[in-house]
Amino acid sequence: MELNWIKIAGFILTPIIAFVVGVTYGGIVRNITARVQNRFGPPPWQNLFDIIKLYSKKTAINHGWMQHLGPAFAITASITSLFFIPILRDSEMFSLLSFNGDLIFLLYMMVFGALGMALGVGQTGNPNAAIGVSRGLSQMVGYEIPFVLALVAIMIQYQTTNLNDILSAQSQFTDWIIFQNPFAFIAGMLALLGMMGYAPFDVVFAPAELASGPPSEFGGKYLALMQTSGSIFAFAKLTLFADLFLGGAENFGILVIKTFAIYMFPVFVGVVNPRFRTEQSIQFFWKWPTAFGILAIIMVAW
Amino acid sequence: MITPNIDEKDKRRIRDIVQDFARKHSLWVLAYGTGCGAIEIPPTMTSRYDAERFGIRGAATPRQADVLLITGYLSTKTLKRVIRTYEQMQDPKYVIGFGSCTINGGMYWDSYNTINALDRYLPVDVYINGCMPRPEAVIQGFIKLQNLIAEGKGNGADKYKENLEWYRENQKKIIHNWEMPDYNW
Amino acid sequence: MLEKENKLLEQIKKTFHSAKVEVKREMRVAVQLRSDLIPPFLSYAKEYLEFKHLSHISCVDWIEDDELELVFILWNYELHVQIIAKTRIERENAQFVSLKKFWNQADTYEREIHEMYGVNFEGNDNLGEFILEDWEGKPPMLRDFDTIKYSKETYFQRPGREDAQNVRETITKHSGEEVPEFAKDYTIRNIEE
Repeated sequence: MELNWIKIAGFILTPIIAFVVGVTYGGIVRNITARVQNRFGPPPWQNLFDIIKLYSKKTAINHGWMQHLGPAFAITASITSLFFIPILRDSEMFSLLSFNGDLIFLLYMMVFGALGMALGVGQTGNPNAAIGVSRGLSQMVGYEIPFVLALVAIMIQYQTTNLNDILSAQSQFTDWIIFQNPFAFIAGMLALLGMMGYAPFDVVFAPAELASGPPSEFGGKYLALMQTSGSIFAFAKLTLFADLFLGGAENFGILVIKTFAIYMFPVFVGVVNPRFRTEQSIQFFWKWPTAFGILAIIMVAW
Repeated sequence: MITPNIDEKDKRRIRDIVQDFARKHSLWVLAYGTGCGAIEIPPTMTSRYDAERFGIRGAATPRQADVLLITGYLSTKTLKRVIRTYEQMQDPKYVIGFGSCTINGGMYWDSYNTINALDRYLPVDVYINGCMPRPEAVIQGFIKLQNLIAEGKGNGADKYKENLEWYRENQKKIIHNWEMPDYNW
Repeated sequence: MLEKENKLLEQIKKTFHSAKVEVKREMRVAVQLRSDLIPPFLSYAKEYLEFKHLSHISCVDWIEDDELELVFILWNYELHVQIIAKTRIERENAQFVSLKKFWNQADTYEREIHEMYGVNFEGNDNLGEFILEDWEGKPPMLRDFDTIKYSKETYFQRPGREDAQNVRETITKHSGEEVPEFAKDYTIRNIEE
């Protein structure tokens, strides 16, 4: 079997590009939050300094080997989900892996990271962390339902579960799924609010809530790994939404524009809203977004 | 457990310069107000005297924080908890003494319950004096800490580890009921 | 002018003959009692005279008379008058009765007075370590406890306080301004009303 050098280069470059773009988006969001609050914020590359500082901590205090595994699970899930999402449309280097049924596999992989981190957090023995993990998992139950309903509506409409096929079915501007099935788009965007972790659904990781919840005993290198995996995962989620609803991108410029446009929706909702409690957020997700998802399925199933 | 590296003190390598550059531009302050000087921290961190421009952010737990701000007077009850918090932070860590109560006792120098010189119990890197210091003075103190880190002199944590017996002797002299885990991190 | 305060004065004097009652000013009446009359007086004030609110319990150290003085401050919601009830107790092995059954918040004040002045309140089980942790020795608010000596011995003092200067004079010497008349001697000031 001969090695396909282009594919191998794609495997190496994709996480690096995702990391750089994710970190820059994080810094730009901190700047936007600052301007909304009438002050100047940090420079846009501030998140990179944070991650380098956390990597250069000299001691790593841990409570056992399971705590090592927690961030490792998280970053494994992020990078694996990244490999299954076609970054650019018809490029051999950047649409890496695909098989029939990979959309359902993606649904599982996105949850796997949080579950692995919950295992690692359980080893620390901190009661704050345990309550934070239970809140995070309950909230995930909330937003996964409209997300899965939107995806199932798309799968029924196009009779396929392969992400590449859905991408190639949106060849023209009017074929984008945002116009063909708008209810699925609305349900998906409302589920994106929960996935991104901004207010009003940031009760899990906010510093004022329970001493920042799950990462309260992580410091130094573990926190750096979790922030890296968070940046990569954010880019993966945004690219998935751009591929599903906005027709993918042919080159990186258009990809950046589309993902940034989608990203602005959770950010702008987040800077002006307070926080929901866990049961309020689950109630929100099971009312209108679920209604839109069921409408989307009914519309295509007739 | 990973033991700390002892860098060579004669030559600063490229790796140290890059690491110190990142450390000085992202200081995470533990959100813990130990005394009445803590009332000057919210104005410094919010919109008017924005400290986030310099990368200074609040951190929730000692495991995630770099800088411990001792704001104001410390009674013996609080000193025991602050020592425990300081020993839970990860290297490299810095202590800033805030207000004149940490320098020479300030307004409470003749009290039966407050300590007078913080230097004897914890290794301090920068003092900011005032009662309370204004937010501009606080930001100037942070910039002084950034300059110290850039020159490679921000090593209060190593000083604590080397002189641990001296610090312990001073701490145990005023804290009579010593029931704390040993510092072996 | 001071009708309700004088009416209160008459009522208290009729019931407690040995009390020394005085109307200090508008809205304030001071009562000086023997120490065994305090529980009946507080109960009488709470039920009959409608002084339902306990504002504070405080303690004063009269070391010259070898006595401690307990001060109880009560407030009336309708009349808007404050009663200050004072009593003197012995300084050594000071004992008093606990007033927890009248007002539940007296528990906190009694714990503080026990820790700082050494007064034992019978009937209060909560007396123990309250604010100071692991404190051995004399209760620190008594006037013969030397705080300066204690502070100098226990806590390391940074040198340089011995030649501390007057702040006002130092600043004016630096800046060359004149201290105005009203600030020259801060202790002598006539409050004219």
